[in-house]
Amino acid sequence: CSFSVEGDAIKVYVRVRPPSEGTVLTDGDQSLCLSVLSSNTIRLHSKPEPKIFTFDYVANMETTQESVFSSVAKNIVESCMNGYNGTIFAYGQTGSGKTFTMMGPSDSDNFTHSLRGVIPRSFEYLFFLIEREKEKAGSGKSFLCKCSFIEIYNEQIFDLLDSASAGLFLREHIKKGVFVDGAVEQVLSSAAEAYQVLTMGWRNRRVASTSMNRESSRSHAVFTITVESMEKNNEIVNIRSSLLNLVDLAGSERQKDTHTEGLRLKEAGNINRSLSCLGQVITALVDVGNGKQRHICYRDSKLTFLLRDSLGGNAKTCIIANVHPGSRCFGETLSTLNFAQRAKLIKNKAVVNEDMQGNV
Amino acid sequence: MAAAGGGWAAVCHKFRTARTLSAVESRKDPETEPYRSKYSARALLQEVKQLLSAAEEGGEARLLAVRRAVLEYELGVNHTDTEELSAGEEHLQRCTQLLEPHRLSPDCVSLYIQAQNNLGILWSERDEIKTAQTYLESAEALYNQYMKEDGNPPLDPSEHFMSEEEKLTDQERSKRFEKAYTHTLYYLAQVYQHLEMIEKAAQYCHTTLKRQLEYCGYYPVEWALNAATLSQYYLSKQCFMESRHCLAAASVIFSQAGQVPSAEDNETEQDQQDLRQRKAEIARCWIKYCLNLLQSAQKLLEDNIGELDPDRQLELKAQRKKEEDEKEKGRKKAVLFGTSDICDSVLAMEEKVSSVYPLDFQEAREIFLVGQNYVQEAKEFFQVDGYVTDHIEIVQDHSALFKVLAFFEEDYERRCKMHKRRIDMLEPIYADLNPQYYLLISRQLQFELADTYYEMMDLKVAIGNRLEELDSHTIKKINSLAQLAIKYYELFLDSLRNPDKVFPEELEEDVLRPAMVAKFHIARLYGKLITSDSKKQLENMQTSLEYYTFLVDYCEKYPNAVRAVETELELSKEMVGLLPTRMERLRAKLSPFI
Repeated sequence: CSFSVEGDAIKVYVRVRPPSEGTVLTDGDQSLCLSVLSSNTIRLHSKPEPKIFTFDYVANMETTQESVFSSVAKNIVESCMNGYNGTIFAYGQTGSGKTFTMMGPSDSDNFTHSLRGVIPRSFEYLFFLIEREKEKAGSGKSFLCKCSFIEIYNEQIFDLLDSASAGLFLREHIKKGVFVDGAVEQVLSSAAEAYQVLTMGWRNRRVASTSMNRESSRSHAVFTITVESMEKNNEIVNIRSSLLNLVDLAGSERQKDTHTEGLRLKEAGNINRSLSCLGQVITALVDVGNGKQRHICYRDSKLTFLLRDSLGGNAKTCIIANVHPGSRCFGETLSTLNFAQRAKLIKNKAVVNEDMQGNV
Repeated sequence: MAAAGGGWAAVCHKFRTARTLSAVESRKDPETEPYRSKYSARALLQEVKQLLSAAEEGGEARLLAVRRAVLEYELGVNHTDTEELSAGEEHLQRCTQLLEPHRLSPDCVSLYIQAQNNLGILWSERDEIKTAQTYLESAEALYNQYMKEDGNPPLDPSEHFMSEEEKLTDQERSKRFEKAYTHTLYYLAQVYQHLEMIEKAAQYCHTTLKRQLEYCGYYPVEWALNAATLSQYYLSKQCFMESRHCLAAASVIFSQAGQVPSAEDNETEQDQQDLRQRKAEIARCWIKYCLNLLQSAQKLLEDNIGELDPDRQLELKAQRKKEEDEKEKGRKKAVLFGTSDICDSVLAMEEKVSSVYPLDFQEAREIFLVGQNYVQEAKEFFQVDGYVTDHIEIVQDHSALFKVLAFFEEDYERRCKMHKRRIDMLEPIYADLNPQYYLLISRQLQFELADTYYEMMDLKVAIGNRLEELDSHTIKKINSLAQLAIKYYELFLDSLRNPDKVFPEELEEDVLRPAMVAKFHIARLYGKLITSDSKKQLENMQTSLEYYTFLVDYCEKYPNAVRAVETELELSKEMVGLLPTRMERLRAKLSPFI
């Protein structure tokens, strides 16, 4: 396998969307705040010095949907067939092209559209691989795919497949890991069916508009497909299961205020105004006291807890950071690139306690 | 003057409506239009501003300036609330400019401080923490200066648009003023944290908590949780007195939460569960307190092979007598929470466990027992079904409590039994755990089980050495403990293999030391296995040599690793030198005729 040699660090892809229609592009255009230098570097025209960022992959404005899918998601879907858990995050400011990248153009029938995004293509590829496996193995191998679709809003969990349900809870099972207690699970038999479930749930999401932003999603949405394979070899039954998580993070411009800050990365500044956030401040102080035994009363955010495996276990994870090249978006673009830069540092950590290192 | 009489009443009414819209109505805004009420409030404020300008002629200049400052302040906050920072900054700046000459007078000081607070927030949102710091520190200085020079309860900003009869009482004024200042301190805590002035940040968090208690501006559960969390900061700094004080206060304040009936009095099951979880969280902070205190004492008392050093013990006991009292009393005054009756309850709570290093088994046992009680309390909520990670972490703490207590135990047999207790709690959990989802914990358990068996084996060897001759029962015991230790170390090492079952060429930094220690311990364990079969013994020596060689070769290939395992490497090199000769001798004995 090709992936056994790669490290566990999270892969980060940056995609630059074209400016809105009607704007003519010329090289060195003053209205652009960045240029793509190569397939993994980007230059931000900051003052006084321009800033160069390096990522695993940078997709420029001409990059096709197909090419984004092949370089970002293909590998992860394949690993998923091999029993790994995989997660794809989309991150970026509202209007930076997140939905286009993940879902495709906002027409009704994305599933057959030539510009369809990463998610429908992942579905197609997953079911293509499953069919191929089945053919190869004959009747000895069978697959079961299920999906759930939840939304995390204000640290509460809602089921997008059952809009009548109240808040749900995260729980852990000693054999099965973290799960959302009571979330609807739908059995899937084809890519088209998966897409149908996804679009149905997508409509239930919470969005909001302000005079600054036209429409911004205020919640994180997590679409999870469980792939279970069962192989019979004589009398021995071999069951393997893995998860594929497709995560649409809330518009990055809103994160600081709603405290739904997705991945707990060290944020640069931003004062919490409410005294009731004092605990978060203290928690940050305790985090520094490394090596010592301590207990933090405040859990990780719901999102990090749910995706703990993707951020620190045996999983393949990538982040697609979407940016808008317009100079008016400079601030947000900078903060997205900074976030993406930090995300590269998250490693799938499996540290053994200091205390357990034993005496000689 | 147009703003006089009925006109003024209308202005006041508009202003009040704007404030209600902004503070109360805006919470009910639909998610699709989060700022609807804020935008209407803004429009009203603009109207008020126009009315004021129209009234400008003839009015008293100072009075007008202050009123305009209030409006600029409200508009500034409104704009920053709705993500329009530049406009917000302009308004706030205008507010402080208008107030500058009067900032120390009772009708302006509170507004000025609040404007500075908001400028601090604004600049932090632009990631300019240093600028934020200057605004907030100047707010802090102004408060102190005002309290020193005047000290009377100052006017609340909202009072500038109130009729005489509506004006606030001194008590209410003071409450609001102190609250604004508490916010200054809280924002400063964050600024210092971002600037990595951690100690100062902690001090400001502590003061914020203290002031919340003094001015009754807190929710008991939240306050208790914050205090418990702060205790963990003090733990990391080895300040056990402060840590205990925070925990005792947390427990006392938390117990108030149960007594006060909640707002609607129809507590849902969810609320009840939340409350039980918070209680368990505080218990877990106490566990860490006991554990840290014991472990720190162990560090002070151990000699170079990790055993209790009796000379050091005597020395520390003498030293403790001398200094304990004076030193702590001075520090204590600075951090004390609460007014008299809360304070008394906190002190009573503190008396239940020591905050000085235990120096012998008896003292250690008392702390251990407190810790163990909290383990039971925490486990009641964090049951394995539903809270796997938390539950296991608590069990690991319990095991660690036993481990450190064993250090203080002189009797080897009893010490061995303590380690057996650890095995009994860890092994069944490990057996059930699915490493696909709990890889990290699974590794920790493998390593801890291995280490515990290793320690038990060492104890059995020590006990055996006191006997005239090793009996077959003891030999069997030693060998089986060694085999179990090897088994768990190997499981740990296997967990590092990739999906193709290949052990990594180069180890990741975070598992480097544990992996090397595991290899080293396995090498030693093979050396300790007792057998009368010389051929078997030769095989064991061969295996042992292979593991020692791994360490030496690895460090040669990756010199960066040397740092992590210096002592182990030195001993391994020695063994790699010695073992072949010993094996040669053994071989010669085995076949004397060749």
